[in-house]
Amino acid sequence: MTGPAARKAGRWPELLPLRGTLAFVLVVALLAVAPAVLDFGVYTRNIVTLAFLMISGALAWNWMGGFVGQVSFGHAAMFGVGGFVAARLMLSDPPAPPPIAWLIGGLAAGLFSFGAHPMLRLRGPYFSIATIGLGEAARLIFTYWEGFTGGASGLSLPIDVHMKRRLYLWSLGLAAAVVAASFLIRRSRIGIQLLAIKADVDAAADVGVNATLHQDVIFALSGAVVGVTGGLYASYFSFIEPGDMFGFDRSIAFVLMAVIGGVGTVLGPVLGALVFVLLRQFLLASYPQLYLGLYGILLVLIILFEPLGLTGLSLRLLRWLRRRRAEPRASPA
Amino acid sequence: MAALLATRALSRHFGGLRAVDGVDLELGEGEILGVIGPNGAGKTTLFSLIAGSLRPTSGEVFLSGWPISGRPAHRVVRAGVVRTHQIVRPFPNLTVAENVTVGAIHGSPRAPGSPRERAAEIVSFVGLSERAGELPGTLTLAGRKRLELARALATAPRVLMLDEVVAGVNPSEAMTLAGLIRRIRDERGVSIVMIEHVMPAVMSLSDRVVVLDHGKKIAEGTPAEVSREPAVIEAYLGKDHG
Repeated sequence: MTGPAARKAGRWPELLPLRGTLAFVLVVALLAVAPAVLDFGVYTRNIVTLAFLMISGALAWNWMGGFVGQVSFGHAAMFGVGGFVAARLMLSDPPAPPPIAWLIGGLAAGLFSFGAHPMLRLRGPYFSIATIGLGEAARLIFTYWEGFTGGASGLSLPIDVHMKRRLYLWSLGLAAAVVAASFLIRRSRIGIQLLAIKADVDAAADVGVNATLHQDVIFALSGAVVGVTGGLYASYFSFIEPGDMFGFDRSIAFVLMAVIGGVGTVLGPVLGALVFVLLRQFLLASYPQLYLGLYGILLVLIILFEPLGLTGLSLRLLRWLRRRRAEPRASPA
Repeated sequence: MAALLATRALSRHFGGLRAVDGVDLELGEGEILGVIGPNGAGKTTLFSLIAGSLRPTSGEVFLSGWPISGRPAHRVVRAGVVRTHQIVRPFPNLTVAENVTVGAIHGSPRAPGSPRERAAEIVSFVGLSERAGELPGTLTLAGRKRLELARALATAPRVLMLDEVVAGVNPSEAMTLAGLIRRIRDERGVSIVMIEHVMPAVMSLSDRVVVLDHGKKIAEGTPAEVSREPAVIEAYLGKDHG
């Protein structure tokens, strides 16, 4: 896995943005040609595509959950809305071209997120609890709205083999765009205001930050991107079903990926999504009975000992290495 | 000439408690106005009403004759009125420079330069340049008070409302902070309303002083006039029963 390692280097704060950008472009280019050069089988391609999609979803979740510090347990709602709107458009007569369908699905999910506006008055755990309600309400509505979603039996999507191959590139493109957007948001004056809102919403308002507007916009953007991700996800597996799209474990997955990797960082959710996808694949195949329990233990350990997740762990390791390198030079003198 | 900032019969009731009760206040351009009064007199509530963090029960606030009461806090800041907090509230997850930049973003329509440049200038104005890259948690209380000042100042205010900036630091720091407040008015032309318990500071800095007690304005005038006022002495020391 040279790709993620290089991408990790690209996000490292000590590096110049120029070097980071070059490394990032290089990684994306390598990943784009990887399936042809390395002759990916279907299994590998499935996992890597899924990883790209989960990276996009985790990073978009992190805009709200990490930058603003409003932890959502309801992002499955946007994932599902984006997925089903895209699916219906692809199944309509005449069928919409997939990219248009994904885009409109994302817009629908973004609009749906605006419905959460009243919830943005709540902060911290109260907001989180409200988002559980949002996710569950969406799940129930779409499960019983059989005319639209096909109910529990779901909908099959007309995705042929060529489109499936191209979806690898679409997913890579989405992930790359979301990584770049996350970095830009974090560095921009919007990012700094989001962090101010996270720290103290009233103090932020007292120096001119419009907290409501920022949260509305970020939640809608986050929802829209997760919606596009849902559309690509459903298309790649050429099947969509409410239980899979709207399930509570789907919402939990977004939280888990960000927390495993490091909430509020850009690198974190990328790492977290990779670990999540690989671990999930391994656990489902080998120890399906341990699957959820292990995530629970992981979550407890991270929150107790390393709240910045893998990112915090890497930073700690880096500091330790630097100290070790500095010591031999200091002691002979 | 119309006052820069004025309140008309401004009131805020919490249930039966009249925290601020019909207060008329006027701040002239380039003036430093002290607000004093015993604990619980309604000074901080008055600031919250002007700053938009609390809605008045009745009465109005005007900036250059324009009503600004009822607007949310972030829009009052954009109009040019900003407050600091008695208990400093830095953003602990942002560096000193970033803290000030958050304020500078919203001052940009009134002041030249990018938010980052203006923030750097203000950080050096309050004497925190050497700590610009550090987190607020590493600063002393006096340092965090400077940061609180800088962040508010970065919004390029016309009126700066200071809630006990001098209180709680050692005497030499208090002198420096008082000097800084004077420089904000003299060098940057910002008009100031300050709540202060440290009497030497408020009496030497203020052009005029307003005294609040139980939510009402009980006296107003130059520092010398006010300190002779029987009602003020009574509010602070109690009635002479002897």
